[in-house]
Amino acid sequence: MSASVLEVRDLSVHFGGLRAVDNVSFAIARHRITTVIGPNGAGKSTLFNLISGAVRPRAGQVLIDGVDHTGEPPHRLQAAGLARSFQITNLFFELSVAENLRLAAQILEPMAMAWRPVAASRTALARVDELLERFGLTDKAPYPVGKLSHGEQRRLEVAVALACKPKVLLLDEPTQGMSHGDTEDTAKLIKSLSSDVTILLIEHDIGLVMSLSDHVIVMHQGQKLAEGTPAEVRGNPAVQTAYFGHA
Amino acid sequence: MADALTRSMRASHVLAAVLVVASLGFAAFGAASGDTFYLRLGTEALIFAGLALSVDILLGYTGLLSLGQALYFGLGAYLSALVLMVTPSFWAAMGATAIGAVVVGTIGGFIANRVRGVYFALITFGMAQVIAKVVYNTRALGASDGLIGVPVIDINLGLFKISSASPVGFFLVVLTFIIILYALAAYLLDTPFGRLLIALRANERRVPFLGYRTVTARLAAYVIAAVIAALSGALYPMLRGFVSPELLFFATSGNAVITVVTGGVGTLVGALYGSILLTLFKSVVGSYTEHHLIVIGLLFMGAVIFLPRGLMGIVRPVIERRLNRGAKS
Amino acid sequence: MMTAAIEYFQFVLAPQILIGLVLGVAVILVALGLTIIFGLLDVINMSHGEFYALGAFIALALASVGLPFWLLLLLVPLIMLPVGYIVERGLIQRVFHSGERHVTTLLLTFGLGLVMEDAFRLVFGPNPQKPPVPIAGAIDVFGVFLPLYRLFLILGGAAVVALVALVVYRTRLGAMVRAAAFDRHMAASLGVPVQHVYAGAFAFGVALAGLAGVMLAPIYSVFPTMGRDFILMAFTVVIVGGMGSIAGVVVAGLLLTQVQAISSLYISPVWSDPIVFGIMVIMLMVRPQGLFGRLGHG
Repeated sequence: MSASVLEVRDLSVHFGGLRAVDNVSFAIARHRITTVIGPNGAGKSTLFNLISGAVRPRAGQVLIDGVDHTGEPPHRLQAAGLARSFQITNLFFELSVAENLRLAAQILEPMAMAWRPVAASRTALARVDELLERFGLTDKAPYPVGKLSHGEQRRLEVAVALACKPKVLLLDEPTQGMSHGDTEDTAKLIKSLSSDVTILLIEHDIGLVMSLSDHVIVMHQGQKLAEGTPAEVRGNPAVQTAYFGHA
Repeated sequence: MADALTRSMRASHVLAAVLVVASLGFAAFGAASGDTFYLRLGTEALIFAGLALSVDILLGYTGLLSLGQALYFGLGAYLSALVLMVTPSFWAAMGATAIGAVVVGTIGGFIANRVRGVYFALITFGMAQVIAKVVYNTRALGASDGLIGVPVIDINLGLFKISSASPVGFFLVVLTFIIILYALAAYLLDTPFGRLLIALRANERRVPFLGYRTVTARLAAYVIAAVIAALSGALYPMLRGFVSPELLFFATSGNAVITVVTGGVGTLVGALYGSILLTLFKSVVGSYTEHHLIVIGLLFMGAVIFLPRGLMGIVRPVIERRLNRGAKS
Repeated sequence: MMTAAIEYFQFVLAPQILIGLVLGVAVILVALGLTIIFGLLDVINMSHGEFYALGAFIALALASVGLPFWLLLLLVPLIMLPVGYIVERGLIQRVFHSGERHVTTLLLTFGLGLVMEDAFRLVFGPNPQKPPVPIAGAIDVFGVFLPLYRLFLILGGAAVVALVALVVYRTRLGAMVRAAAFDRHMAASLGVPVQHVYAGAFAFGVALAGLAGVMLAPIYSVFPTMGRDFILMAFTVVIVGGMGSIAGVVVAGLLLTQVQAISSLYISPVWSDPIVFGIMVIMLMVRPQGLFGRLGHG
């Protein structure tokens, strides 16, 4: 087993003349929380799209547990143990909270169960209950997602990504648009998740980043500007001018 | 505890049961009064209900509008007629139809599923039009006359035999068959596979990130719908003794869409009620004027604008609430 | 050898190319409105063939009270404009904002087509009627016999296409239309009356269908289901050309009808439809956006 569960080597993609992600390399260690920060347009979301298979990289490699998965479609990457959430809530809005989670968890069932009624999917249903409980959504289980508050939808977004028990979880701004209280709760939740999943996070709230992260990667204009522990990054002069200088 | 989707499917089952009881009453009344015409009309309504069922699986559950489902209905009708003219066996005709539908449906699905949205609608429309035109001009298939002289058969149901010429007997055979298709479709849609189709309709872009290849799931839905449409079509020559290229025309596909939309998209049972009501409606309005399409077209437009979930959109929630109340108390 | 080749061209190939050209212009005229409506409103107008028939029937009715053909060329599209405007505001707008806009607008226009077709049958009867050809006579084009009216149709069709392109690409009105097609919210914030632009564009597309009806009636005759004959070909042309592209309609329209005309020399005409359809399928596989992009998109 490789030490780094997710490794990215010289990843690049261009849109027109724009180098959205330019030669980015890093590796993240198992059961750690790594956060990608950077100003708007730094290429953070594009980086996630490349890693999760939503966009094909033009160059570079994506390795999961040391195995090359570059350019594979999302469903293959999911099978390799990678799951993601989205910056703009991307759920099944007409379906219930429980059904959203069940859909995400049904892949845990053996193939033969695909042809049995869903009520028989014990593993998936147990996983749903577990997640509802953990994310404080048990009361909301029967409601359509569209009826939830923004904060609840954002939490469900993370829960749905987590439902398939991935090795690596990419969370794209999980606290986006949340109230201060909700943000703190979510931060605690994410921290508690890291005991069984490796997390790669995009986050804007610097305070949150510093308290939550084991490791920070700073992006700027599509490139990796710096990386290190939160303290190291904070002390880096290049980061201060490029990023904190504007904050 | 059953979830919301399972519960609304149960409400559909209640309505389907009501339909079966009403049909049995209709059959008994028809048999007692020695009627032929209305029993045959009812049988035809049920056959076209099968076609509508296949449209609903695609439109109401997977979110794919097929404007060419007549292709598979016609395929079934022609295959069945050809088989019956060689060997008058119900099961041979059905078996050949099922195999043919899987083969043609896979090819058609491979083509149609390259695209989505309106392109899917147009490509299914185009495929059916082209095949209809080819059949219409193919002498071996009877060209514009179709295939006539399909023999009456005895349907061997193990314990007893029913003649396709018996109005009430064949009505019951078709009723049983269509209800089985309904039940199979309902069963499938309540499995993880079926729920995946529902997820495709709700938000296709998220599905790959749950670990599924969307093309495969859509293709599977398409082939299943093709088989259901074809098996329904296979019953047609047994009823009428002939098949004609009109079965493949857009009017047939369009009628199935109208049936589903007015009956209730995404309810399965709406396809059955829609077909029966539409047939009834046509024969009633048709006895006053030959311009029933104006009325049906207006009703259909009204349903699209005011009743996006069709007739079942009004009826089914009432049943559902009753079921829920029953479950709680 | 050489003379054989010339004779083959003169007596076999050239007439077929001309037949294809006339058909091509006809298809382009029908498809033009379809592609504009799709390009701007994102609506598949399933009743487009019936609007084409409506134009032909209005022309027939007005001709019977003595109005000359040349006046009808102008009058019928003008009558169709308010019809299209009302249909868009009264029907399509009602379902335009629902979640599954593509499907609901398609279904609604499909229903409208059914009603219109049956209404034609009710008012005008089911039998085909052929208006007199407005220009008699024929000329010799490189030894090929060409009725003058068909020559007029080719030239007139080209003029209509040029005029439409001029309106869409060179006028302020066209600029508003393209802006609304590209980004309706942005256009609205810039003061473009998006609602009226939409209804106007639908009316424009429908008026073009009506004009096609007037122009083609003397050749293909007028009957309630006449719209069906062209609609599959028109959809194919719109898809191959790129939904919403005017240039695409012209190129794909000429190309596909030529393929159809010339292929029918060598194989049974029954197979020319599958060939054209096959081209569409291949196009959708390799280049789903069509030959040219969408209206307003680059």
